[in-house]
Formats: sequence, C-alpha cells, structure tokens
Amino acid sequence: MAGIELKNISKVYGGSVVAVDDISLEIKDGEFMIFLGPSGCGKSTTLRMIGGLESISKGDLFIGGKRMNDVDPADRDIAIVFQNYALYPHMTVAGNLGFGLKLRGVARHEIEQRVKSISTMMGIEPLLDRKPAQLSGGQRQRVALGRALVRNPQAFLLDEPLSNLDAKLRAAMRTELIKLHHKVGTTIIHVTHDQIEAMTMGQRICIMKDGHIIQVGAPLEVYRNPANTFVAGFLASPPMNLVAGRLEGVGQGDLHAVVGAARLPIPDAFKAGYASHAGQPVTVGLRPEDFHQAPVGGSSVAVTVVTVAVELLGPEVILVAELGGSGGPEIMARMPRDFMARPGAELHLHYDLTQMHVFDAATGNVLPRPQIA
Amino acid sequence: MIGISGTGANAADRRDRRFGYAMATPSLLVLFLIILFPVISALFTSLHDYTLIAPNFDTFTGLTNFKLALGDAEFRHSAWLTLRFVIGVVALEFLIGFAVALMLNKVERFKPIYYAILLCPLLMNPVIVGLIWRMFLHPNLGIVNYLLSTIGIDPVNWLGDTKIAIWTVILVDIWHQVSFMIVLLLAGLSSLPKEPYEAARVDGANAFQCFIHITLPMMRTVIVVTLLIRLIFAVKTYDLIYIMTRGGPGTATDFVSYFIYRTAFVSLNVGEASAMSIILLTAILGLTVYLYRYMRSIN
Repeated sequence: MAGIELKNISKVYGGSVVAVDDISLEIKDGEFMIFLGPSGCGKSTTLRMIGGLESISKGDLFIGGKRMNDVDPADRDIAIVFQNYALYPHMTVAGNLGFGLKLRGVARHEIEQRVKSISTMMGIEPLLDRKPAQLSGGQRQRVALGRALVRNPQAFLLDEPLSNLDAKLRAAMRTELIKLHHKVGTTIIHVTHDQIEAMTMGQRICIMKDGHIIQVGAPLEVYRNPANTFVAGFLASPPMNLVAGRLEGVGQGDLHAVVGAARLPIPDAFKAGYASHAGQPVTVGLRPEDFHQAPVGGSSVAVTVVTVAVELLGPEVILVAELGGSGGPEIMARMPRDFMARPGAELHLHYDLTQMHVFDAATGNVLPRPQIA
Repeated sequence: MIGISGTGANAADRRDRRFGYAMATPSLLVLFLIILFPVISALFTSLHDYTLIAPNFDTFTGLTNFKLALGDAEFRHSAWLTLRFVIGVVALEFLIGFAVALMLNKVERFKPIYYAILLCPLLMNPVIVGLIWRMFLHPNLGIVNYLLSTIGIDPVNWLGDTKIAIWTVILVDIWHQVSFMIVLLLAGLSSLPKEPYEAARVDGANAFQCFIHITLPMMRTVIVVTLLIRLIFAVKTYDLIYIMTRGGPGTATDFVSYFIYRTAFVSLNVGEASAMSIILLTAILGLTVYLYRYMRSIN
C-alpha cells in the first residue's frame, strides 16, 4: 500500500491543448479518493498519468514516496480497471486473472492458488473457464476487478468502472466496491462523472473542471460548503438552485438577499462576509432539501412560491415552482412523498436560512460564511 | 384478433418475399450463367472424351479422364510445383506483410502516402507486371543484372535456369501481391481495441509479449481470411507464368493452371483438362471449407 502525491502536474497535448493544468493533490495511504467532474475535465487523463499510460508533461508524481514520472506502468505496482473492462477477449476468465502473474514469472501453482482465492472472493469461480464474450456486463466487471486484485498492488485506479452497468447493477457494485475497500484497505482512486457514486463511495472527492481542481474534501463537506457555483450545481440531484439576485441593505445592519419578489434576510453570522457585496448582483444558492412545509427552529423564513409542476418520484416529490410569486425565478424543492399541489397553486414554504449560500455573480465563487459542519 | 393480425402480417411478408425474389433474380441468373454454368459444363466435359479434334460428347468415358489426370506424372509434377509455390509465396508474403503492417500501424504521419505507394503494384495488371519484370530480369539487357555487375556479381539467368526460375517467379509474385497482405493486415491491426494493450502494459507485458499474447490471438480471424484469399489466388497463378516463363525452362515453373491450359489448348485434350480443373476446384473448395470451419470454431 502507498500514498500518491501529485505535485504541479500538467498534461499538454500537441504543445497547445492543455488537458490538465498544474494540479497538486495528496492521496493518503489507504484512502478512497474520487475524481469527479464532467467529461473532458481531465480526470481520466490525470488517472492515466498516475497509471503511466500517459506521459506527464510537467510536474512530479510520487507513489509510496518514490518519483514515478519515468517508471513503466508495469513497475509502478498499480492496477487499473478500465471503463470497458479491457479484458483479453481470447483468454478465459482464469487466463485473464492470471496473465499479469504469469508475465511476472510467478510459479504456476501459486498463480492457480491466487486465481482461485480471488475468484472465490469475487464470486466468479464458476466462470473461470469462460471467455469474456460469454459473460454479462456485471460478470465482466467482477473479472476486471479480480484481475486488478490478484496482483495485490499498492493502489487501484478505477476509470469509470461502473458506467457501463445498468442502474440496479451499478448500485450493487457501488456497495461491493466500498466493502472491498474495507476488506483490502488499499489506496483507491475512482474516476467518475456520477455524483451519486462520488457522494456514496469516496472518503474524499476531488472535483475537477477544465483541467483544474476546483475543490477537494469529504463528500458531505463539499456538499454542504461548495466552493463555487460549479460545485454547487454539480453535486446532489436535483442540484442546488442557483438563482440570480441582489444583496440589498446598508452595511451589516439590515442585509437581504432579494430573489425576484422574495426577500431572504441574511443571518447575523454571515453578514461580515457578505457586507462587501451589499448592493451588488449575486447568485443565491438554495438547496431543494432546505425548503420545508413547516418552520425549522428559529432559522427559517416563509417564502411564497407558485407551483409549476410536481414530479412524483415515489419516496419523495420534487416541486417545481416560481419563487416569490408568479413570474419569479424557477426553483426545485424536495417535498415528502405525500405532498400534492396543483399547477398554479400558491404555496407558503419555509426556507432554512442557515443553509443559504451566496456566490459572486461574476466569478461564481462563494462569499465567505461560517462553514456548515 | 390474433388470426386477423396474423393474416395481415403474412400478406405483407409474402409481398416482401416476392419483392425480394424479384430483386435477386436478375443477379442470381447472371451468377448462374457466368459461374455455375461453366462449372457444370466442365464437369460434364470431364466425363466425356472431348478433344478439339473431335469436339463432341459422343463418347461417355466416366471417370477415365480423372484416372488419366491423376496418373499423369506431369500433372502430379505441376501440382507439387504449385503446392511449393503457393506455400512459398503465401508464407513469405505473410511474414513480410505482417512485419510491414506492424510498422505502418505505428506510423501517424504520411499514412496515405505510404498506402498509395504500397498499392501501386497491386493496381497493375499481372500481364504488365510480368512484362516489366521480364525486361528487368533479361540476362543481357536487364537492369537487375546490370546493377549486380556494378558490384562485381556475375550475370544471373533469372528465368532461364531451372533451379532459379521458380524463385524468380516467387519473388516477382511477392513484389506484386505483398501489398494485398499489408493492406488487409493493416486494416485488421488498426481495428483492434486499444484497451487490452493498456491492460497488458499495466500487467507487465513488453512489446514482444503484447504481440504474442494480444495481437496474434486477436488478429487470428483476419489472418486466416487473408491467408485463405491469398492462397486461392496463388493456386490460380497463370498470367505471370504465361508472360514470364511459359512454364519453363523445361517444366520448372509449369504450375497447374498453366498445365491445364496446355492440356486443353496445346494438347487439345479438353476432356482431360476439364477433369484436372475439377480436381483443382475440389482441392480449393476443400481448403476453403476447412478454413471456414476453423474460423467458425475459434469464434
């Protein structure tokens, strides 16, 4: 096992296309780290640089304290699980599992033994004589994971390994990967564009965009305290409502966030950080789950909304409504499963002000406020 | 309800089928006329004593022509010669072709230019190829011997020496046909998925191990098809021989196709020549079926 450290790493293609731009990150020994971001954000490229499949244009990569920039992938002692599994199509499952060991000159009986124990662990023992074409997607996924596990590497690099599975299987494999990490305790870097995977699986999430790291932190930490509108809009489903508004008021005395016809008073604790933007346009971030039907403690404010649509999801209801009255900005609110409202109906909801975030309208960066623990 | 919708579907199906037959019939007829008819005609002729001196089907001889052909030492000689030639050209062209294809597969710049150069010989008519090389290889006037003389090598009688002639024909055939192998194998190589190679690199495979464990097994189907096509074409080699050696010197390059031609149009024994053609056809068909089955078995 080993920690992984990226120091000012960049990847430039053809001298001008910058895929990854000067990123630094430390992944602790045994950590389950998620690289999250939209396609083209550089997360897979970063993973491939760590794995040695892409050269590093600038910066240094350390695995287990050793500089690895110029080390062959085979000698980095890492295992990669690819998005489409990349199994050897002409080899049986047993052949796929044992290939890396065979190349490393491991004795035959030991290969058999390790293949057997890994296949038992992954539940693929009955499939050992089959070829990849005869396996289902989930089975191939297990074989690909087994092939990574069998070598007992210092770290696993998973490149969107669940994205080709159907929804049900994906949920099952998520749990299995988490269990697996508990069992083997090896460092894992998991690349994904699925924010549910990111929230549920990782100990920390590294959110990337356009080749830059935007924010790194524990899933709930990032969810509760997004660094900018990109992170706020990327995590959770439905994501945070980001609506254009203004901060109105004079100094720290009487500060309001005005969104359409709704006036949201700024809690005293936030005023110091927000005062500098008084009178300026801002983006107000309101999570759908912070709208309630009844007041919450002493920290909520009543808001009027006009129902646009109601989406019945079963366990919950998503209310799409116009904030502040008809013609106001459209928001989504997460309601309990028995909630009902007709389109056009005016409702009074309660918004939990302690959860509010205000972002600079121009830069999208969050304005400083006390962190939500 | 089921009956009604069932009938409707059937009527549409029948219309579709009729339309299908209507579209396919003309080409099927043409195919029958130009391919199946000559084959049947040859089969029919092979069972009769049909010569160009007495061109009639009056004497039914059964399998006599086949017995004569198989008992003919010259026919067996040319069959053996053809076998050696086919194995020689196919094996050499495959080795050279695969090596070049592997190299070209790594090339990123100027690929179309390489393709164009490679395809040039393939685009030439075999007769032209034969004529060009006959001139190049002329013992006294050819450029090849001239170039050899400049480095002090005595002139070689490329097409006149019984020991050298077959190798000369093999070399010219390789020059002409190797690009066919390259192009087909290159197409196969470039369609291989990249991921297994990346997985193998992480698993610790070097370039040679990747070739043995990944490339060769994944290319198996393409290789078999390429070899099969080339094999069939090589067995039929006729024009090169006709232009360059006429089967000579002596019978040193007297391949089956040319021998059959001689039997039919020089010896005028069309019946026996037809029997030989049928034997050749059977051999090629057998080979094709075997390779086809083999391909099916590995998929």
